[in-house]
Amino acid sequence: MARRRLGTAGATPHVTAQPRRRRRTRGFVQVAGAVAAERLRLNMFGHAYVGVGAVVIALLFYLALAAQITQASYDMSRLQDQQRQLIAEQDQLRYQEVTMHAPAMVQQQAAQSGMQRVVPSSYVAGSAVAIDLTTPLGASPADATPLWMRAVATVVNAVGGTRDVMAATKH
Amino acid sequence: MLVVAAVLAGMVWSRLAYWQVVQHGRLAMQAQAQYREFVQLPALRGAIFDRNLKQLVVNTTVYSAFVSPDQVAAGDRDRVATGLSSVLGVDKAKVMTTLASNTKFAYIQRRFAKTKADQLRPLKLPGVGLQEETQRSYLPGIATGSTLAANVLGFVDWNGDGKYGVEQNYQQALGGTPGFISSYRDLANREIVLGTHTHQDPINGQDLVLSLDANIQYAAEQALADGVKRDNAESGSVLIMDPNTGGIVAWADYPSYNANDFNHTDPALFKDNIVGSVYEPGSVMKVVTLSGAITAGAITPDTVINDPGVLSVGGYRIYDWDRRNHGNVDYTYVLAHSLNVGAMKAMQAEGHPAFYSNLQAFGLTKPSGIDVADENCLLPPAADKMSDSQYATASFGQGIDVNMVQMLAAINVVANGGKYAPPHVVERVGTHINPVLLQPQRQAISPQTAAKMTAMMQQVVQHGSGWTSRIKGFELDQAGKTGTSQIPVNGQYTQDVWASFVGFLPAQHPKFTMLVVIRKPHYPGADRDWTLNDGYMTAEPIWKTIAQSLVVDWHITPDPH
Repeated sequence: MARRRLGTAGATPHVTAQPRRRRRTRGFVQVAGAVAAERLRLNMFGHAYVGVGAVVIALLFYLALAAQITQASYDMSRLQDQQRQLIAEQDQLRYQEVTMHAPAMVQQQAAQSGMQRVVPSSYVAGSAVAIDLTTPLGASPADATPLWMRAVATVVNAVGGTRDVMAATKH
Repeated sequence: MLVVAAVLAGMVWSRLAYWQVVQHGRLAMQAQAQYREFVQLPALRGAIFDRNLKQLVVNTTVYSAFVSPDQVAAGDRDRVATGLSSVLGVDKAKVMTTLASNTKFAYIQRRFAKTKADQLRPLKLPGVGLQEETQRSYLPGIATGSTLAANVLGFVDWNGDGKYGVEQNYQQALGGTPGFISSYRDLANREIVLGTHTHQDPINGQDLVLSLDANIQYAAEQALADGVKRDNAESGSVLIMDPNTGGIVAWADYPSYNANDFNHTDPALFKDNIVGSVYEPGSVMKVVTLSGAITAGAITPDTVINDPGVLSVGGYRIYDWDRRNHGNVDYTYVLAHSLNVGAMKAMQAEGHPAFYSNLQAFGLTKPSGIDVADENCLLPPAADKMSDSQYATASFGQGIDVNMVQMLAAINVVANGGKYAPPHVVERVGTHINPVLLQPQRQAISPQTAAKMTAMMQQVVQHGSGWTSRIKGFELDQAGKTGTSQIPVNGQYTQDVWASFVGFLPAQHPKFTMLVVIRKPHYPGADRDWTLNDGYMTAEPIWKTIAQSLVVDWHITPDPH
């Protein structure tokens, strides 16, 4: 039987500690049986009936649980079998898909559609690249905007905080 | 009395020691077998892809039907036999015989498709069971009796072991590691749920990515089959390589087999002629000989020699193929017209040691090391063991045996700027790149020599025996060399030949190198003129057909001129 330590956890410690007492706790069945027997005023046979009843209830509970477990295992087995079949079907479909893209099937389909491979009679000859990519980059083009316009733009930018004057003048 | 007691005690102790110490391992295992159950969890075998990640092999589930005759009542036998024969197409009388036997277990049919299993299941035949098995399914090939790339891929037997080709060579990587569940059982063979369980998940096999191109492979198989039939040949093979990496692009044999039906295939067909057989390469070897002589500084393409059509070496008179006096010719002419005397003179000019070193540089004195199972090679004798006549015949490819992988890798040295690219089929194993690809390539000959030889091989196509391989638009951009060698039987050369052609294009920036070998061709009319069996009549047209497919599929354009 389980033993329980009574009430010191979390409690404020007393100045004078009382000597600890251990009490043997009674189980639920014992307590319930005693209370029921007291209230029903059962004799010895009554006690036996209650005991047998409790056992029968426990047995039924066990049987129900076992049946549920058995049913679950059947379900698992069925689902595993189903999964295996689905995987097999998936493999089969995968093979069909891969086969459909196989060169043999592609050619067969093409032939059935009246297509055939034609060997090109001529090819576009390559030509030398006209641009020499190794030449160093030249200087960037000179800014052709008049000086006065640049000065105005600088002033306007400084005052107005805008920076699109130059762009606007080009349109 | 004491002695007798001691002897008896000693006997008992020794017997105890025998059972408890000597026999401990065996008895412990027997005890474990009674209460321990060990279930193996098979690993999923890795898939195989081509260079464009097109899947070449798929794992599929197949079914085997078995019967337990002792569980079939006598009255049910007819129903069971009828059901099995109607769905599986097996002989009903045979099934009845099996059912009437005292056996506990018998297979009715193995490895059939899911559709049949789906028909069989609803019949609920007593004593009949279905067993699931995994099977490798390969892509269809050029005909119903073949699968794509059967010779290079190999197959997987019913025990799950790779046989031949890549499947065998990469068995460990593809197969993975099976897992297991180990648990305890009670007397009624029920699992003790709260007992000690050991569970290890299987490690699935790794996928392989090959350098193969499925489309080119198919085109090669088709062209080869047509060519072998046209030439009335015994067999033929095609090998195509990426010149820069050494990766095999196509590996075709004819006749081939159906890897999906290996158990009904003549085992002789499993042997792969590309890597499993050796042949005498004939004049293709002149590319190696002349490259070596140029490297040694013994000749140049313009060196002029006198070729009277015959040369005496080591007591033998060795002739050119046409037995004609060609007079003064340069080495470009020698290669273009495949003159044996010229090759022998080049070998003599560089000397035996240099010639042998050159064979080593081109990888012809050791196996190619390709990652395909069962490579076969016949290595030449040591340099000091070869006679003068052996050196002479080896210079034009007779009396020296190589396999096709060795020969193609050797010629590819010229296409690859003088570097030897190790031949391989697998580019990636799982996520790991094949280490061969990460190693620097060995410089076999100088780039200058390779360029000179390329120019000479271009002349073979433009002015020599390679004319039947010319592809429209690439006439100036092809390099090639024919080879024809007589097949020896019991030490005597016969009229049967190996006819071959090797070439690459575009010559200056090759995209592929291809070798075609036809065995024992009997070209129409060859009984009157045996030269019709030559490489230019038999192997070259096949090379041309496949090269055209490559040009179209890979969008290859000629070099600018």
